[in-house]
Amino acid sequence: MSTCHFALFDLQPAFVLDLEQLAVRYRELARETHPDRFADAPAREQRQALERAAQLNDAYQTLKSPSRRALYLLGLRGDTLPLEATVQDPEFLLRQMMLREELEELQDSADLAGVAAFKRRLKAAQAELEGDFAACWDQPGERERAERLMRRMQFLDKLAFEVRELEERLDD
Amino acid sequence: MALLQIAEPGLSPQPHQRRLAVGIDLGTTNSLVAAVRSGRTAPLPDASGRVILPSAVRYLADDIEVGHAAVAAAASDPFNSIISVKRLMGRGLADVKQLGQQLPYRFVGGDSQMPFIDTVQGAKSPVEVSADILRVLRQRAEATLGGELVGAVITVPAYFDDAQRQATKDAARLAGLNVLRLLNEPTAAAVAYGLDKGAEGVIAVYDLGGGTFDISILRLSRGVFEVMATGGDSALGGDDFDHAIAGWIIAQAGLSADLDPGTQRRLLQSACAAKEALSNAESVTVSHGEWSGELTRAQFDALIEPMIARSLKSCRRAVRDAGIELDEVEAVVMVGGSTRVPRVRAAVGELFGRTPLTNIDPDEVVAIGAAIQADTLAGNKQGEELLLLDVIPLSLGLETMGGLMEKVIARNTTIPVARGQDFTTYKDGQTAMMIHVLQGERELVSDCRSLARFELRGIPPMVAGAAKIRVTFQVDADGLLNVAARELGSGVEASIQVKPSYGLSDEEIARMLQDSFAHAGDDKYARALREQQVEAERLLEAVQAALAVDGERLLDADERIAIDHEMQELRERAAGSDTAAIEQQVRRLSQVTDAFAARRMNDSVKTALSGRRLNEIEE
Repeated sequence: MSTCHFALFDLQPAFVLDLEQLAVRYRELARETHPDRFADAPAREQRQALERAAQLNDAYQTLKSPSRRALYLLGLRGDTLPLEATVQDPEFLLRQMMLREELEELQDSADLAGVAAFKRRLKAAQAELEGDFAACWDQPGERERAERLMRRMQFLDKLAFEVRELEERLDD
Repeated sequence: MALLQIAEPGLSPQPHQRRLAVGIDLGTTNSLVAAVRSGRTAPLPDASGRVILPSAVRYLADDIEVGHAAVAAAASDPFNSIISVKRLMGRGLADVKQLGQQLPYRFVGGDSQMPFIDTVQGAKSPVEVSADILRVLRQRAEATLGGELVGAVITVPAYFDDAQRQATKDAARLAGLNVLRLLNEPTAAAVAYGLDKGAEGVIAVYDLGGGTFDISILRLSRGVFEVMATGGDSALGGDDFDHAIAGWIIAQAGLSADLDPGTQRRLLQSACAAKEALSNAESVTVSHGEWSGELTRAQFDALIEPMIARSLKSCRRAVRDAGIELDEVEAVVMVGGSTRVPRVRAAVGELFGRTPLTNIDPDEVVAIGAAIQADTLAGNKQGEELLLLDVIPLSLGLETMGGLMEKVIARNTTIPVARGQDFTTYKDGQTAMMIHVLQGERELVSDCRSLARFELRGIPPMVAGAAKIRVTFQVDADGLLNVAARELGSGVEASIQVKPSYGLSDEEIARMLQDSFAHAGDDKYARALREQQVEAERLLEAVQAALAVDGERLLDADERIAIDHEMQELRERAAGSDTAAIEQQVRRLSQVTDAFAARRMNDSVKTALSGRRLNEIEE
């Protein structure tokens, strides 16, 4: 079975991470495992290096993204959660719908300054969610709330992706 | 010193034997080979001292010309002189129909879907044409470095898809090259700049070559190059600038757009010359036949503005993909001959708000970076830490119900990467499943590139949805894909090394390998060259030794100057790869030193004979 992503980086499972330090450690580990190191080695070692490097990349991508890190942490602490799930969170969904409408209006008016302001608000909202999640994810009895926060993070990720697509369209 | 570089392995006075490896920039218009020698990285010149080999191949009835000669013949013999073949690499017949309007070749089909070009030597695939270019570079490298190569790093545009990468690897194999790594061109450029300057931070590499445009956003940190995002356009380049000017000439001169291939070539050559002149001049006189006219830089800038705008759009997208803002880019590296165009430099400078770096020759920078990486991969740099973390340029996925593409690995994911996705059967008792591997960013299968199809058979019959089939994608450090499918309950397995739909069929590869045996003569040529170089070295050493002993005593000043001159000439020729030229100079040096040798001979005979009687030496 594969090693825990956190253990791979010599870390204890935690939500708050120093991303700079994680990046430094990633590069160190990548140096050791990258297939370039084994360009001359027998095929079997090359294949192992490939698998190790792929696992390291996967771990790094997971830990780097707050929402993926949150999903992974909850999986470590309890049942593995599906990547996506139907969410019962009406209040949040309503806010999401309003944000999306706002985004559509920005597209219709091709308002670049408005998009930039929207992005700043989105970043602030993401930071707030991350703070809330960090405070509760490993508290007994808070599991349900932590899951809800994690799903909200995923929503905001998707929204951020849509903002990027909007920027792309406005670039035409 | 020239003498050390031409020593045969084994005869080398250096105790430590380097493993010879080179970097090759296989470009649309030009190709180069570079190597690290005595700690310096530089492109390797041909016998005439030229480092650039035009990526042009001309097929004659019983000969193959590669490079300048083939370019020169392009106008007079357009069907047999193949240029810009890189644009056809890994493409299907349907793809080239569109390009075919710009390229005057006669295409024919083969066993595979790959387009073949009809030449006087028969049908040639783009892979074979590329292999002929690579073979010349390999021979140049082996002759210059004096030994067999352990391998080469070959650069490809970051935007090349799996089929195009596989085609490049096939070409190398045909040319007898061991590929240490396919390296993305922008990454190679960053390597060339990064090591020279010890830079840290985020850099953008803007690479506008003859036929392709690439933009890469990289993070440099303590010897690690991490690709954050890549983008570009595999059908945008300096050739398009030429076509724009040619179109302008056609309009101005009132020519019919329906030109014969020879005229088309001449027109493009004048267009290219005008473009190059406009890098330094404010205007240039263009003539075609009877017609002649004045093209100003401002007019030229206007002609190419749409293409530059397209490239800038790709830049903005790559910056977004990297998750950063434009002002976070700390340096912009310019690569590719087309970045000599002043308007291109200015536009890129404006976008990023800083003057782009242009101090390494934009034609050489990629080959230099590849050579540095080749040297590392060949194991010559134990201590030196250099690592490249590359990404896949396009998303990879599978066809699912309804003709939709399900992404398994998103674009700009760091490689190597392995990822699995679970699927299930949709009919009761279903025992087989078709796996259709796709590449692209679009939702519909029909808008993506089909890479491969294979079938997983022998699934035990179950009710629909009960079987669990895990499909695993694995992309190696070259960006090449392996796909495996496994039914988890029964352990039934099927896998495929993705053979792109536009790759070569096995029969075609077999035929080409046969053909390459027919080129064994080329390898003999390389050996003849090395033998001649060894001969040159032997002679130079002998003359040097004789000069040290008797030079002062037996030669006057003029004779000495003449000998020194011819020795210098031989050293220079021996460093090149023109066998005949070296042989000729060996003879000339022998002739010039004949009198000196005769005098030494007489002298030693006299010494030996003095005090002996005639009958003692007659035998």
